[in-house]
Amino acid sequence: MAASAPNSLNIRTYQVGFGDCFLLSFTYDGSKKRHVLIDFGTKALPPGAPKGHMLRIANDIKATVGDDPFAVVATHRHQDHISGFQRSSNGKGTGDVIRAMKPKVVVQPWTEEPGLAETANKPALKRFGDGADKRVAALSDIHEIAAHVVEAAQRGGLPREARDRLTLIGEDNVKNLDAVKNLMTMGQEDPVYVFSGTKSGLDSLLPGVKVHVLGPPTVAQSDKIKSYAKTSDQYWNFQARAMRAGSSLATSKGKSKVLFPRHVASAGPNYPVEARWLIYHARQAQAEQLLSIVTMLDKVMNNTSVILVFEAGAKKFLFPGDAQLENWLYALDGTNDKYKALLQSVDLYKVGHHGSWNATPKKLWSLFKKKSAASGQGRLKTLMSTLEGVFHEEHEVPRGKLVTELKSQSDLLSTNKLPNSDLFRDTLVQL
Amino acid sequence: MRNTRGSRHSLVNTQKLTIIAQDPSVRIGGKILMSEVDVPAEELLAGPRGYRVNVIDFDTATSTLYRPAVLKRAKNGQYEDAFALKKADGTPRKRPKRYDHKLVSDPTFHAQNVYAIVMRTLAQFEFALGRRVPWGSQGHQIHVAPHAFADANAFYSREHRGIFFGYFTGPSNRPIFTCLSHDIVAHETTHAILDGIRSRYLEPSSPDQAAFHEGFADIIALLSIFSLPDLVGQLLDRSTPRGRMISKAHLTADALKQSVLLGLAEEMGVGLSKGRESALRRSVKLRAGRPYMSMPEFSEEHDRGELLVAAMMNAFLEIWMSRLAKIGFVSPGKRDRSLVVEEGARAAGHLLTMSIRALDYCPPTDITFADYLSALLTVDREVVPDDKYRYRAALLRHFNNFDIRHATGADVDGLWKQFDGRELVYARTHFDSMLRDKEEVFRFIWENRKALDIDDRGYVEVQSVRPSIRIGPDGFTLRETVAEYVQIMTLQAKELKAALKITPPPDLPPTMRIRIFGGGALIFNEYGQLKYKIANRIEDAKRQTARLKYLWESGALDGDQQDGLRLARLHRARMARAERSE
Ligand SMILES: [Zn+2]
Repeated sequence: MAASAPNSLNIRTYQVGFGDCFLLSFTYDGSKKRHVLIDFGTKALPPGAPKGHMLRIANDIKATVGDDPFAVVATHRHQDHISGFQRSSNGKGTGDVIRAMKPKVVVQPWTEEPGLAETANKPALKRFGDGADKRVAALSDIHEIAAHVVEAAQRGGLPREARDRLTLIGEDNVKNLDAVKNLMTMGQEDPVYVFSGTKSGLDSLLPGVKVHVLGPPTVAQSDKIKSYAKTSDQYWNFQARAMRAGSSLATSKGKSKVLFPRHVASAGPNYPVEARWLIYHARQAQAEQLLSIVTMLDKVMNNTSVILVFEAGAKKFLFPGDAQLENWLYALDGTNDKYKALLQSVDLYKVGHHGSWNATPKKLWSLFKKKSAASGQGRLKTLMSTLEGVFHEEHEVPRGKLVTELKSQSDLLSTNKLPNSDLFRDTLVQL
Repeated sequence: MRNTRGSRHSLVNTQKLTIIAQDPSVRIGGKILMSEVDVPAEELLAGPRGYRVNVIDFDTATSTLYRPAVLKRAKNGQYEDAFALKKADGTPRKRPKRYDHKLVSDPTFHAQNVYAIVMRTLAQFEFALGRRVPWGSQGHQIHVAPHAFADANAFYSREHRGIFFGYFTGPSNRPIFTCLSHDIVAHETTHAILDGIRSRYLEPSSPDQAAFHEGFADIIALLSIFSLPDLVGQLLDRSTPRGRMISKAHLTADALKQSVLLGLAEEMGVGLSKGRESALRRSVKLRAGRPYMSMPEFSEEHDRGELLVAAMMNAFLEIWMSRLAKIGFVSPGKRDRSLVVEEGARAAGHLLTMSIRALDYCPPTDITFADYLSALLTVDREVVPDDKYRYRAALLRHFNNFDIRHATGADVDGLWKQFDGRELVYARTHFDSMLRDKEEVFRFIWENRKALDIDDRGYVEVQSVRPSIRIGPDGFTLRETVAEYVQIMTLQAKELKAALKITPPPDLPPTMRIRIFGGGALIFNEYGQLKYKIANRIEDAKRQTARLKYLWESGALDGDQQDGLRLARLHRARMARAERSE
């Protein structure tokens, strides 16, 4: 018989480089364990990671969980959060390992509800409110745009640094169909799709633990607080179409069709001297354009992240995926005193979006009451799964300023600092 | 006497070129509506490449450089317009076969179209200001790339010294070229020019300043349409058979709004749907009389910019109507169409000139809509002291309708106060140098900083001295000199309170370095006496406190925002905006 409440929680932070993978293990009665895996993905492994690194992690998860009750949370659809759920044709992929563990349930944001993408069966989806289907359609447009951007980045002529960044962020947003399908079907129970204020689906798995869902808001919920979203769902449809057309002109060789074939002066690479200045700058401008598109869509996808607060004993643990400002706005809105109180007393915070600046809104950071300049009992703990040097210059992730703040005000564990030989680092908290 | 071209006449100073009047989707009888416009005559190389514009047709999506447009020189010294629909004497020429197809599929026409609209827009500014106007970007010639990328965007970039136009594919699966849209080309060109006249307006400062660039560019683009008589004449009553007369039913403010301004938007719904075009005109639909300026949904820059456009275009419609009332009916209920169009062109031309000239009467940093309104009114009085057509009353009323009040520092009638120059010392500066020499104007400021109320802490720089010539109300040439000075101070956040009584946002890191601006425009009359000083005092604690709050909350102090990309980002965001349901 399971005790009514756990007495400790171990959080295992896996070293996945630029990505997230956390295994939460709640201990009941001093020995019986129950586990939740939050995300399993990478976009760039740590340098020198041996072949099969992700598989080693999958096997460690399997060994740790064993036959204990177990659930999976996939916060959002980015590669660096779900690539580990992808299966392999030989049945020995990381996604096969997790699937074989037969999670009791898989929790995902409401935007993953498959019915929303279909036109039929609308009434059953009422609970997601107005605009839900359009948001989901926009997300699928975003996958497509991301693919166009990756293609455009490879086409050549762009500065190397820009090309690398475009490819990285672009690929992160390209749809991983197999991982998505695997997540949809691997649970023993029906998958749970959550939004702000709904039940997490983890209650029966974790007796004595309250799991609050703070995000993502539905379209209707964020409309209520006057969304500050800069982009509309119909924009993505427009943009996808504009780029689709641009790239349906593309031939099989990956080269786009020339607009006015009978008027070509030069197809490069040696252009006339008088045009070179403009060509260099047009390419720079183009790279900046693509970057702004891809950054925008990356953010939209981040904002579908499930935000969870695990409340166990007197302790609270915040796992926000990569939620950025727009996702947070609903939870941080002044009318939501309940959420505010929860956030104020957070003991452990999984740093959003690998330490990027706008995933930890100032308003959120200022709420945490357990921040402290002095280390010691009861000080805020922070976990950051990131990899330095993945982004460049002013776009650095993690942000220097945020890292400084995290270091000076909390006990920070960053995977960045783990030795190469370490697969993970444990954080044990008595409840 | 013969000049170098062997002609006994002096060189002509305009060149006629054919452009697409609005964009390829605006058609009459199924044919693309064209217009012939005057642009400044100049030596043109292949491109076209002239003394201010260098069109280079490079497409980054396919890494293709297209052949430049080469305009052939005709005997009369003009260039031949290969796309002309009129003969040299102005009589119509038969529309060639597959003409419309050629327009869309021949990049040399695109180059000509974009060149002509950019030059025409520049000429409008130079005409209004009575002086040469620099681009915001370095160099005399701005680069223009008519097919820069496969994307639904177009923008001016100071850093890349160019105006870049994208192309994309519309719902009908045909390519849509932003370089063929009169609105878009005029709008982007205006950004480049405005940046040349007031370089600090692209800096983050306040919701107003952020919105000003966009609203102003829209105003210039919209008012420019009315100098294309073919277009306006056709649009007035498209639904009825056209004739020399037009019924008064088509000439109410609402009907004109529908036909000429919003009518275009419907046409363009075909191509740029949900894109820039409908956004440009959406402002005209805004209803008057709401507390817009304090409504959160109008704090975003593109929405806020629409308020400026709505105020201006409604004032324009009223003025047009009142001009029409002064001309008679030809037969009962019928007016002469060309007269109607002409009156529209006059009113628009006057407002266009005012709108441009008002820039000289705005502070060089941290502009607000209120400043701009006061500048407009002041400029109008300078030119038309008696206000026969009640322009000032109309402007004031319609700006107020959209919640834009005149500047608090202005007179009760909303106009800037003339500067009381009794304390000023001119003896240490020279009249002639004051017309062009920044050092001399700085000396004037230095000697007079008490009288001018210029804080002597921090850095002061005279950014420009611009003599400008215009025709006064009496028909005589009037010389004015406009000088702008900018003040800059950099302090740590924690010092702001003690030094300047500025209250920084509570969570601003105390050691963060904060740059604050002030500055003014000095308008000297033809005798070199200071007539107006239109300034933002750097030590204005209320303004600086509000600015810092805005910058902090909008994230502009985080260093995450790249200034150079502002316009590109803005245009994209504007496209991304959902249609306001109203
Ligand atoms: Zn603009």
